[in-house]
Amino acid sequence: MDFLKSMAIAASGLKAQSGRMRVIAENIANADSTAQRAGGTPYRRKIPTFRAEIDRALDAQTVGMGRMQLDQSEFRTKYEPGHPAADAKGYVKYPNVNPLVEMTDMREAQRSYEANLNVIGATRRMIQRTIDLLKA
Amino acid sequence: MAISDLPIFSMLRTRMNWHQERQRLLAENVANADTPGYRARDLAPLDFGRQLEQASGQLQLALTAPGHFSGGGATGGGFPLDRATKSDVRPMGKAVNLEDEMMKVAANQMDHQAAISLYSRSMGLLKTAIGKR
Repeated sequence: MDFLKSMAIAASGLKAQSGRMRVIAENIANADSTAQRAGGTPYRRKIPTFRAEIDRALDAQTVGMGRMQLDQSEFRTKYEPGHPAADAKGYVKYPNVNPLVEMTDMREAQRSYEANLNVIGATRRMIQRTIDLLKA
Repeated sequence: MAISDLPIFSMLRTRMNWHQERQRLLAENVANADTPGYRARDLAPLDFGRQLEQASGQLQLALTAPGHFSGGGATGGGFPLDRATKSDVRPMGKAVNLEDEMMKVAANQMDHQAAISLYSRSMGLLKTAIGKR
């Protein structure tokens, strides 16, 4: 039944968006994770990617998480000579996570998640109406 | 005689199939709203005139043996895609406008409901005709 396909496609969207949310949570949680050793590299920001997948069973394009990419931008540095992760000159590298960017990403993921939920709701009501034909 | 042999029922059935197919495409668009390089797709509007022609004035192939297939069957998922769907590509390479898609989903749901109501009304007419209340 085609309506169930619509639901399955929207569910793939929900899954992809919640996966994206997980990566964003990881980034925010690790926003201040410095290295363990002196002069080491701290946590590097992760970027979730999406790609359209052809689902043979559904005969439709669902969405899935692609490979996780690492943000290659510069780390923030702070002068903290007493810090255990400070290098020879006294600078500590902090992760290249910008909380503001993560917050906007989070909002976008939330919005897309809600859109997929709405599609499921609309499809469910359409199925319900069709079944109601039997009652008439 | 099956119920879908009546023109109104066969037309409504095609209409409902169309809405079902469209719902699937819209679900694809929303699910892939954040996929870079994905272009939104939609169905071409249902051609009422042609549908009417098909439903009423259709010439059927004669069935000379019980094993023959009838010529004009119910249409399945073979609705044409709308080629003219235009969408702006945003800087991140995303080309799906979520608001537009949600509007289409709502409109699709309402039209489907209208078709369903018409179907049950027509069914009510038939019931009245055979004297059942």
